Amino acid sequence: MKKDLNYVGRTYPIHDATQKVRGSLEYLSDMKLPKMLYAKLLLSPIAHGRIIKIDTSRAEALPGVIRVFTHLNTPKKTYSRYRIIPDQEFCLEDERLLTEKVRFVGDRVAVVVAVSKEIARQAIELIQVEYEALPVLSTPEKALDDQETKIHPEGNLLHQYQLKLGEQLPLPDDCIDIETKTNTQKVHHAAMETHVCLADFDSSGKLTLWAACQGVFGVRTIVADLLELSYNKVRVIKVPMGGSFGGRQETILEPITAFLAKEVKHPVKLTLTREDTIISTMTRPATSSRIRTKVTKEGILVDCSVETIVDAGAYATSSIDNTYVMSKKICKLYRIPYYEHSGKTVYTNTPVAGGARGWGAPEIMTAIEIHMDAAAKRLSMDPVELRRQNLVHPYDFDKSSHISLGNAQVIECLEKGAEAFSWSERFTRVLDQGRFRRGVGLACAAHKNGMYGGFPEHSTMTLKMNEDGSFILNTGLHELGCGTITSITQIAAEVLDIDLSNITVLEADTEYGPYDFGSYGSRVTYICGACAFEVAKRVKEKLLECAAYSLQKPKQYLECKNGRVWVLGNEQNSISYRDIATTAKVKDNTDIVVTHTYHGTSNPGAYAVHFAEVEVDTATGRVRVLDYLAAHDIGKAINPGMVEGQIQGGVQMGIGYALYEEVKVGNDGSILSSSFKNYHVLNAPDMPTVKTLLIEQGGDEGPYGAKSIGEIAFVPVAAAIVNAVNHALGTSMSNMPLTPEKILAVLNK
Amino acid sequence: MQIEFKINGKEHNMNVPSTMRLIDLLRDELGLTGTKEGCGEGECGSCTVLMNGKAANSCLVLVPQIRGQEILTIEALEKDGQLDQLQESFIKNSAIQCGYCTPGMLMSAKALLMVNPHPTEDEIKTSIAGNLCRCTGYNKIVQAIQEAATQD
Repeated sequence: MKKDLNYVGRTYPIHDATQKVRGSLEYLSDMKLPKMLYAKLLLSPIAHGRIIKIDTSRAEALPGVIRVFTHLNTPKKTYSRYRIIPDQEFCLEDERLLTEKVRFVGDRVAVVVAVSKEIARQAIELIQVEYEALPVLSTPEKALDDQETKIHPEGNLLHQYQLKLGEQLPLPDDCIDIETKTNTQKVHHAAMETHVCLADFDSSGKLTLWAACQGVFGVRTIVADLLELSYNKVRVIKVPMGGSFGGRQETILEPITAFLAKEVKHPVKLTLTREDTIISTMTRPATSSRIRTKVTKEGILVDCSVETIVDAGAYATSSIDNTYVMSKKICKLYRIPYYEHSGKTVYTNTPVAGGARGWGAPEIMTAIEIHMDAAAKRLSMDPVELRRQNLVHPYDFDKSSHISLGNAQVIECLEKGAEAFSWSERFTRVLDQGRFRRGVGLACAAHKNGMYGGFPEHSTMTLKMNEDGSFILNTGLHELGCGTITSITQIAAEVLDIDLSNITVLEADTEYGPYDFGSYGSRVTYICGACAFEVAKRVKEKLLECAAYSLQKPKQYLECKNGRVWVLGNEQNSISYRDIATTAKVKDNTDIVVTHTYHGTSNPGAYAVHFAEVEVDTATGRVRVLDYLAAHDIGKAINPGMVEGQIQGGVQMGIGYALYEEVKVGNDGSILSSSFKNYHVLNAPDMPTVKTLLIEQGGDEGPYGAKSIGEIAFVPVAAAIVNAVNHALGTSMSNMPLTPEKILAVLNK
Repeated sequence: MQIEFKINGKEHNMNVPSTMRLIDLLRDELGLTGTKEGCGEGECGSCTVLMNGKAANSCLVLVPQIRGQEILTIEALEKDGQLDQLQESFIKNSAIQCGYCTPGMLMSAKALLMVNPHPTEDEIKTSIAGNLCRCTGYNKIVQAIQEAATQD
């Protein structure tokens, strides 16, 4: 690895920080266009039923209402909000713009377009709908048991997998069997900006969408195919957004907003309230995983069998792939001679599940890490020791994908983390017996770096040099608030050896920008960052060639330093980037511009081990997180301050996942936590200080050795907290979230 | 209704519906979109402004309540193009990610520092207890406010 880095490895604020502190950054929810109209959705109040009658006449008569749409006057064509590329597998087209059959509380029934938000809101209340109610299948168990009621015509079992890896060998006699069952719940992403979309269809027949999304090309594919427009007639522009966390991965509001703009021939803006965002967009899927392992007395995992059920909610979206991904994760973390996993994806009459930070990893890692603690307890082993014996080693092969796990430093995270956290002292401390009881817990986690091995994986960027020596990098990137633009700028700045202020990195635009799959799958730093590195390297070569011509020295005698090209060994002889670019353009008829497509050829694991200390109030059931340490195998931190921020944010979200957060669904399918009044997001007083420990050993193909952070930061949190609570109380709870009611119920048993 | 009030030092006399919320007045009528809406029920704090120096959720305030009051929004935090110490500190401490909660956080922190220039860590946390952030885990925000307070 290069040692003397000038820009990579230093902390910079997010690129638009100054605009953000001034309140001057225009988010999508702030945007207004001339002659813009406002849309409002009518969402189903019942979880399952058929619309028998729908009367929109009173709404249509309200002054200021432009149009009202229902299933009767919208296309019947089905689509999948999950599709990224044409002909993609496992994208079930089971959704319509507006539905005749409602499948969950929050399903889209009608939409009003009006001249103001207020009129649109009033008009929605004037629409009268008569439903024929159908039996509500509010859980996967009910959906699988009920043979009569079908949420979709194909039945309620969407898909099932069976995976067997390795060879089942004769077991040693002294093996013990461990079995656990872990339930994880639906949660709301809770990005602070609610879902919003803006569309315009102009008189030339071109559709423009301003999207707060994670992948403009996926949005374009879905919208263009649905509205039967060619891809050159649909422009999707990524605009600033207030967070995502996977909640804007799928194409949710864009199809209906685009349709409305096309019909009314005006710009249309659709803004959801918080309640509508919670119930009608996406949730993290609810899952249940039964894990059975056989472990030797010495604590070696011999075989592991997992059965998972994923609650897809009312539409398939990404849940089939999510189940598939869940079935493969454990092999990135532990060496297990024989591993089998069966997974079922099930429709229910509940909010739609989809992309969520970590994408399958938090759900299955929570289950396996709660299981590992149960195993350690049975064996009377220190949980650190049990894991150390079974974790993967650097350059192990991933049993499920047959590709290398790269420089997997999870054992290093475990050992360094345990030492920094004083794990053994805290773990062996005599447990409290009074009202307040402390305990410690840890969890290991594995995630990925991009999609290589299961999906096409490439990214394209164009880097051009301006006449004054500054640069513009045109990309298909999506800044979600994680600091992507800054870290990509740092990478380009490092290669070109020029201050960040001289490089502008553009975000995704389907019309003016190059292709990229989008910001998900922990692929941005590893894949897009490598693309930025490669394109900058190629521009630098061109720059040096032009400088060689001007300086009359061979290229190998030149070096780039701080915006100038120098002749090695001659401190006096140099030329500025400005002079190189201008000379090239004006005198040499040369343009310094490169477009490069980078192909991913590896997918190492990203690893973390988290340690938590909690205190449980046995009188109230409340849990406080007192101390927290997050050890991460990150390869190389491009922007350490933002890396820490990702980890701390991941811990905030993970504590909520473990203890409070749940989109609760009643037996009748009603949503019991549809506002921040009853959906508790952790606030500042409840948040512990999160210490971070970064293992930076590089060794993989990411830029400067960097690996992913945003998703993996969330993956181990819930298990670390749950394990700490179980340690404090001597319990074996695994039904998340561990609310005070659940804790008291266990204590009072 | 006809109503007089002062926003960011400027006197206004406007005719607006009496049911209008302050946040809508700011964003839709005056174009002050730095104040953000995250929940519309006073739970997230994204819409925090100062009303006579006190932090308030502008989504819970109806226009008649601001009669004769002095409102300060995020747009007024900088003075003569110079960022406030808090704004500088948020930038320096990587306390900003998506930035949607940032204006509200800054206004709550400002309200605290105006009455308590040297708060403890717990006082800082309490002052932003009504401001939700989903990106940062608050650690760097608390640190930024602490640092701004130390430098004052």
